[in-house]
Amino acid sequence: MQFVKLGLLAGLAVGALVAAAPAYAQVTLKVWSIDGNDRPGIADTFSKEFDDANDDIVVEYRYIPFDELVNETLRAFATGNAPDIVSFDNPDFALFSSRGAMLDITDRVANSDIVSKAEYFQGPLNSVTWDGKLFGLPKYTDTIGIFYNKDMFAAAGLTEPPTTWAQVVDYAEKLTDPANNVYGATFSARAGEEGTFQFLPIIQMSGGDANKVNTEGAAEVLDLWKQMIDNGWASRDVLSLGQWDSTGTFNAGNAAMAISGPWEIDRMVEDAKFDWGVALLPTITEGGERSSALGGFNWGIMSTTQHPDEAFRLLEYYVSQEDRLFPEFGNLPARGDIALPVTGVEKKDAALKVFQEQLQYARPRGPHPEWQKISKAIYDAMQQALTGQMSSMDALNQAQATIDTIFN
Amino acid sequence: MSRFFNALRDGVGFDVLLVGAALLFLLALAGAPLLYNVLMSFQQVDMFTLGVLFRPFVGFDNYVAVVRQPEFWLVTRNTLIFVFGSMTGQFVLGFALALFFAQKFPGAATIRGLFLVSWVMPGLVVGAIWSWILAGDFGVLNVILKSLGIIQANVFWKSDPNFSIWAVIIANIWLGLAFNMLLLSVGLAAIPRDLYEAAELDGANAFQRFWTITLPMMRSTIGAVLSLGLIGTLQQFDLFPALTEGGPANTSNVAGYWSWQLSFQLYDFAKGATVSVMMFVLVLFASIVYVRSTRHEVRG
Repeated sequence: MQFVKLGLLAGLAVGALVAAAPAYAQVTLKVWSIDGNDRPGIADTFSKEFDDANDDIVVEYRYIPFDELVNETLRAFATGNAPDIVSFDNPDFALFSSRGAMLDITDRVANSDIVSKAEYFQGPLNSVTWDGKLFGLPKYTDTIGIFYNKDMFAAAGLTEPPTTWAQVVDYAEKLTDPANNVYGATFSARAGEEGTFQFLPIIQMSGGDANKVNTEGAAEVLDLWKQMIDNGWASRDVLSLGQWDSTGTFNAGNAAMAISGPWEIDRMVEDAKFDWGVALLPTITEGGERSSALGGFNWGIMSTTQHPDEAFRLLEYYVSQEDRLFPEFGNLPARGDIALPVTGVEKKDAALKVFQEQLQYARPRGPHPEWQKISKAIYDAMQQALTGQMSSMDALNQAQATIDTIFN
Repeated sequence: MSRFFNALRDGVGFDVLLVGAALLFLLALAGAPLLYNVLMSFQQVDMFTLGVLFRPFVGFDNYVAVVRQPEFWLVTRNTLIFVFGSMTGQFVLGFALALFFAQKFPGAATIRGLFLVSWVMPGLVVGAIWSWILAGDFGVLNVILKSLGIIQANVFWKSDPNFSIWAVIIANIWLGLAFNMLLLSVGLAAIPRDLYEAAELDGANAFQRFWTITLPMMRSTIGAVLSLGLIGTLQQFDLFPALTEGGPANTSNVAGYWSWQLSFQLYDFAKGATVSVMMFVLVLFASIVYVRSTRHEVRG
């Protein structure tokens, strides 16, 4: 009997220990993002700071390569091992938010002292909204404009950057100099998200959007782009170059104009041995409707999290540090209430001003849960038109037929 | 009981045990994923059903949807061009090299061994190297062709729809050449010398010796090389992301890469599985040819 009693006592003691444990236990939050591989990024730096500052919360940060992020998260979600917080590229966000995989934080944001929904730009905010509810917060944002080589412009007798696509073609012809390996313009019309990133704004300028791509204006601009490629005013390799490589040819002095975004500025300050500037993305007609691409990542809490309160606290910490995004990481905050500090590098400051103005016109891709399929229809059509396999209008009509099956 | 264990150690039981182990291994590691893939091609798959086995059954919907994709016939055409182009190039050049190195000259064996370097290199590295060689504005190949006066203007190998699939084929021929050459060299070495000597005495010329001795004696080797080449070419993946990503406008997209794109870029796992099942039927056909050609060997 004594033995049994002892056993019971021991059992009680163990039980008490286990029951008491949660009071001292730490909450573990898993955070996944593409930051922090080759240099410190936003997610890894802020997560570590929060982890150090809070004894009751452990933040486990994991770096995942860009190409694997969505697949890895899909797999983790399906097998019940999803992270608590994840950071997606903005067009990928709807794939998760539309299916209830992200936590609805509408009320939490409304009650938060730190996060203020009203301060965010409309475009980034749309990308984390689904069905009127808020499923995440924009992390940072970017957009595209047109870089131009001022020295080459002066040599060709041009003073102002182009404001319409017709002008881009006109200038490209004047600036092309085959003897010195100089193309008039470069851009990225690649078979991938980057291609859609650069072409969708054209569709939006012409009154269309992801659900209506076969517009007259879009076909017109495609014809202009094709004209540049066919005449050798732009390299045929714009069809396979990504934005970073395409702008590399601009920095090397092999192209006089380049379509790209603010992520190029730091490298351009270093590499470009000439005077350059940035202008807003050209429009279809003089003074016509503006649009531009909306890039950048979002934060979201996954709906499977066991610790929504702690996760939201971490999210609030990220938001509270957003004035550091530009000075420390070179990313543009997706909010209007953070003034970018002057860097003292004249060309960089001028370029940033243009991009901040451009951000007002930036429109999101989607949001749509099947964005990737819509995107493929768009870049396939763009490439079919540019390679002359189909007329621009026919290609866009075919894309529209594919897109209709996705929307209906 | 002891008779049972005896049979297990020595006799029919032992044979069954060995065959059973091999079969189990095959079923678990090749059969199960294969069946899972076939099953998935008849189901509706999304992120919530990704982790379960029994999903909504949709019959042949995925197959119909894949065939109705505007790029389906283009991809089919490209796959055929890619497979036949690559195989022909690899086989003809590989055979020529094998015959060349079968001649006895100093260093023949060493140089033949060095050819394996291309086979050892990872596909992505080969892809990156060929990506530089085939670049439009500053590519090495264009510079060479221009200085030889073969072309006047740059050929945009990776961006011109007329050349894009050939850009990948050129890189793939280079990649698979050594493997073909080596297998064919082994086949050549196995042909008895005296056959050639006898034929020479009878007055047969080099072409006749090749046509009436080499080719017939190589029959099973050639069958094996071609089937392995077909399987290897259909499975080629690394070169596509490194060179063209299937572009421009799907003109260099083939079934294997398309299947990957559908599954892992468009997150349409069911259609990705469907395309791979269609490919599997093709590979199955090649495997049958391969097994038949090697069965001949075992009997002999």
